[in-house]
Amino acid sequence: MVRLVEIEIPEDILRKACGGDEAAQVVIYTATAPATFALVRRLIGNRALAEDLFQETMMALFQRLVEFRGEAPLGAWLRQIAVSKCLMSLRSPWHRARLHLDSDSEAGSALSALITPAPGPECFDVERALTSLSPTARAVVWLYEVEGYSHEEIARHFGRSISFSKSQLARAHLRLREWFEPTGGRQTCTSIQSNSKVL
Amino acid sequence: MHIYPEQQQGFVERQRVEQHHNIVRQLRSLPQEAHQPYDWTEFRRRCRAKADTESRRGVSSRRYAAIAAAIVLAAVAIAAWVRLAGPGAPALTQSTSGPEFETQPLVFATADSRADAAERWLASLPSEPPVVRVGTRAAVAGLEDRLAQMDDLLSAARVEGTQPARLAALEQQRARLVNSLVQVRFAETLVAESR
Repeated sequence: MVRLVEIEIPEDILRKACGGDEAAQVVIYTATAPATFALVRRLIGNRALAEDLFQETMMALFQRLVEFRGEAPLGAWLRQIAVSKCLMSLRSPWHRARLHLDSDSEAGSALSALITPAPGPECFDVERALTSLSPTARAVVWLYEVEGYSHEEIARHFGRSISFSKSQLARAHLRLREWFEPTGGRQTCTSIQSNSKVL
Repeated sequence: MHIYPEQQQGFVERQRVEQHHNIVRQLRSLPQEAHQPYDWTEFRRRCRAKADTESRRGVSSRRYAAIAAAIVLAAVAIAAWVRLAGPGAPALTQSTSGPEFETQPLVFATADSRADAAERWLASLPSEPPVVRVGTRAAVAGLEDRLAQMDDLLSAARVEGTQPARLAALEQQRARLVNSLVQVRFAETLVAESR
C-alpha cells in the first residue's frame, strides 16, 4: 500500500517530464494517479465530481511541474494540490449544491463512496461509517487522522477558524462511535456484502 | 465486589478512548490506492477537450465583450448627438395626421437656452396662425411636471425657512401653474362634450 505523500519520482524522470517527454509523464501519471484518485475520492465521495477534481489536479501537476523544487517527495507536493482543489470545491456553493443533488440521486446505492477495489470485510464498516458523515466532516476526519494535517492547516484550507476544525472533528468522532456501538446505526456485514455484488 | 461510581466512570472513559483509537486505527488501515479512473490516453484526451472548451469559451466571451462595447458606443453616440443637436435650433418634432397636425416642442438642447430658443421659435411663427387642433397631452404633462417641481421647491423653501416674500412668490407661481392646468383640462372637457 503506497501513500501518496510517500511517492517519490527519480530526478531524471522529473527533468524529462518538465522538458515535455511524454514517456516520463506517463511514468509519473501511472505512479501517482491511483493514490491521488483515492485521496480525492475520500475527500469528495461523489464519483463524478471526484473525477473532475482528479483531472484538474493532474493537469495542475503537469502544468506546474517546473515549479517543483524537489524539497519533499513529489507525492507530498501533489497531495497539497489535490487537497487544495478538493477543499476549495467543498467550500464552493456551486459544488455543494451539486454534491447535494448527486447525493440524492446516489441515495439508493449505499456503497457508492467505496473506492477500494477489494477491501476486507472489516473495511466495509468503517467505509460505511465514513460515508455517513457530511462531506466537510469526512474531509476533516480524513485529513486530521490519516493524512496528519493539524487543525491550523485544516482551518486555513477551509478558510475557517481552528475551532471549526476541532468541532467538526469532535462531532464526526461522536457520529463514528455511535456507528460502531451495538445499538448504533451499524448494519450487518451480510447485507453489505450482498450489496457489494451489485457494484 | 462493589464498584464505585468513579471507577465506573473511569471504565466508561477508558472504553471510549479505546473505541476512538480503534476507529482511528481502522481509518488508517483503509487502502490508500484506488483504481485510477482512466489511463494516460484518456487523461490526454480530456486535457485537450478541456483546452478546446476553454478556448471556445474565450472566443465567445470576447465576442460578447465586442457586442457590448458596440452597444455602449452606439448609446454614447446617440446621447452626444442629442445633446449637441444645436442649442440655437431646438429639436422640434411635428407629427402630422392628414391636413391637421400637432406641434409639440419636445427636446431642447440645454436648460439655459430653453427660454431663448422657445422665444425665437415663437417669434418665427406667423403673427396670426391658422386655427389648428392641438393635442394637449404634452402640455398637460409639462404643466404637471412643473407643478411637481414647484412643490419640491416650496417644500425645500419651507424647511430652510426662506423669507416670506420668496415663499409667497413661489406660491403665486404655483397657483398660476394650477390655473393653466385647469384651463387646459377645461378646454379638453369642452372639446370632448362638443364631439
